[in-house]
Amino acid sequence: MAEPAAQTAFAEEALTHLDTLYRGALRLTHDPDAAQDLVQEAYLRALRYQHSYQQGTNMKAWLFAIMRNLFWDRFKGSRKEDVSLDDVGEFVLYDKLRDEGARPEADVLDKIAASEVVSAVDKLPPLHREVVLLVDVEGFSYKDAAQTLAVPIGTVMSRLHRARQQLQKSLFDYAVESGIVRPDGMNEGPPRNHGEASDFVGPRQVPQQ
Amino acid sequence: MRCEECSDKLDRFVDRELTNTEALEVQLHLEGCPDCMEHYDFQEHLKRVVKRSCDCDVAPTAFREKLRQILS
Ligand SMILES: [Zn+2]
Ligand SMILES: [Zn+2]
Repeated sequence: MAEPAAQTAFAEEALTHLDTLYRGALRLTHDPDAAQDLVQEAYLRALRYQHSYQQGTNMKAWLFAIMRNLFWDRFKGSRKEDVSLDDVGEFVLYDKLRDEGARPEADVLDKIAASEVVSAVDKLPPLHREVVLLVDVEGFSYKDAAQTLAVPIGTVMSRLHRARQQLQKSLFDYAVESGIVRPDGMNEGPPRNHGEASDFVGPRQVPQQ
Repeated sequence: MRCEECSDKLDRFVDRELTNTEALEVQLHLEGCPDCMEHYDFQEHLKRVVKRSCDCDVAPTAFREKLRQILS
């Protein structure tokens, strides 16, 4: 066991990554209470095994690995339960919208509420969801993500690609259902400016019917 | 570079995972190919939208304090 002072320093450093772990846990468990349990458990385990952390390596990745391993072992049961993504084929929102004459970028993505984007992420199978969390949300390199998930880099890349396709499909379905785009591809509402300010993704950007 | 190769490398380009040389080649193709450029814009934007949307969740202050107590 480490000296108290060293232990406190370790804990303090580990806690600088709390938001990353909490966000990850929330997206994995879909439940704030379960997320807190999972994160607390992960921190206790990290403290217990701090000797196995190598100074100068990526502590965030190390902590995230502990957390997601706990999730799979304890909260999720068996890794085999994961349902792989249905074959979404080469359907992608971008191509779909372009074929239908809509301008996908500013006119669609900027109008989708943050909560809908989060819910599209939540609908991904967990093995794909965690790659999106690591690479897109937390900015992990493929190498760090591969290490965290204990898979080859090629697996990170293929899961990420499939996950993004699925995200586009979910968001397209939502855009059609909510009237942001009509199934025939014509956009509703005035075009948006495409700049820093309009890039804010929020509920108010969903036009009322 | 052909569109097919550009499209193969798009994920890695968006994620800044290409070598400088590869990235430059993609960049050059994008500048001369409106189709691929639009595709790139969309992918890059999707990534930012996903990040921004998920970033809204942060650990509650009370939970942070509780952990600090437990861990010290
Ligand atoms: Zn935009
Ligand atoms: Zn091209």
